[in-house]
Amino acid sequence: MALDFSIILRFQDALLLGLWMTLKLTLICVILGCTLGFLVGLARTSRSVMLRAISSIYVEFFRGTPVLIQLFWIFFCLPLILGIELSNLASGVIALTLYMGAITSETFRASLKSVGPEQLDACIALGLPRRIQVINVILPQAVLRAIPTLLSNCVSLFKESALVSAVGMADLMFVGQNISNNTARPVEVLTIVALIYFVIAFPLTRAVSLIERRILAKLAI
Amino acid sequence: MTAPTTPPLVRMQSLHKSYGPAIQVLKGLDIEMQPGERLVVIGPSGGGKSTLLRVMMGLEKIDRGSITFGGKPYISSDGLDKKTNIDTEVRRSIGMVFQHYTLFPHLNVVENLILAPCKVRKERKSDATERAVGLLTRFGLAAKAKAYPAQLSGGQKQRVAIARALMLDPKLMLFDEVTSALDPELVAEVEQVILQLAAQKMPMMIVTHDMWFAKNIASRVIFCAGGVVVEDGPPEQVLGSPKEERTRDFIDRVFHIRQ
Repeated sequence: MALDFSIILRFQDALLLGLWMTLKLTLICVILGCTLGFLVGLARTSRSVMLRAISSIYVEFFRGTPVLIQLFWIFFCLPLILGIELSNLASGVIALTLYMGAITSETFRASLKSVGPEQLDACIALGLPRRIQVINVILPQAVLRAIPTLLSNCVSLFKESALVSAVGMADLMFVGQNISNNTARPVEVLTIVALIYFVIAFPLTRAVSLIERRILAKLAI
Repeated sequence: MTAPTTPPLVRMQSLHKSYGPAIQVLKGLDIEMQPGERLVVIGPSGGGKSTLLRVMMGLEKIDRGSITFGGKPYISSDGLDKKTNIDTEVRRSIGMVFQHYTLFPHLNVVENLILAPCKVRKERKSDATERAVGLLTRFGLAAKAKAYPAQLSGGQKQRVAIARALMLDPKLMLFDEVTSALDPELVAEVEQVILQLAAQKMPMMIVTHDMWFAKNIASRVIFCAGGVVVEDGPPEQVLGSPKEERTRDFIDRVFHIRQ
């Protein structure tokens, strides 16, 4: 059987809609997940034993179990526990946000730890109040140091988001599978879908090394 | 003792400080510093010199003792609980420069200088920037105003760190081995800046291993070893013909190493 990539053109609109869903889902979960991750990263370096314990359990659980199971669990079990019906999008967002929060909290924790104690000495010697120390000195350095790893985390999330197709969300992967089933041309369709993922993820991974070379080297942080 | 008409700038009384039960760094230090004095603290490593400065800056807790600054209570600990009381208002009138620069790497030179004036004293950004540029020009760094710390040499970084501390108009400057991390050819440019401050009667406390510098800048030298003051006097005495045997040993060894 000869390969025929032209059939893809017939499903252009459907694929674009799927891609839009994937991008939307990724973007929402990047924003929510990074915020959650930063707070959890702070909690894991906090003085409170309780906060450290809760945040550690959360992170270890979500890092140590397959995302697919987390997704199924939230999709099927959470509505039973809460007694409310969750939309596909809501379940997907909750699951991927929790996953993103867990992996980025580790990124933030490492970058927070890398801001040395002598920076705090300098803050005290300049009489900076605690709030200014955190907002103007520690946070910007932690975020700058975290950017390369955070971008890698975003790429992971973008790729892992394909799993939501398993619970029936019409993302790029879901649309691709549908087309492939209906046309019986899995090789062409899935190759194109993979290419679309790659074309978006590749510049992001390139951006990581660019940022490392340009910005971080300039600031030496 | 009759009460002096002006209080000493700094009065440290019976400062005790230890890291755990085994390591006692300060064993009851009493030092008085008059306004306008430039106090150089010398002594062997681990003798408590840097700790003394860090305590003075309010960076370290003490086990017992007290410090007054300009006659006002500044730091105290009664040794009963673990608490060290530090008056943060008084602390604001003290500036410190560290061995490893401690500039903020994500801010450029001017931003490093104006952060504290703008955030602590609510100075207008334009006013603070103007003062910053003035200071940088005085220190020969005008061309580096927009540079990031990583783009500066060690000597330049240290001069920026001094300028940053001066932005808050300190009444006392602390210098903790500020030339120890520098390449030898960069030491002079930093020492020149400190000598320039000395000429303007800025009171300072300096910890240094550089005996040439100590001799040139000090109005008084203290030899600290084993957590106590061993000798205290004018530079000609302590560096030239020390009275105490331990001081003499140290001075001999330091000068011997340097030859």
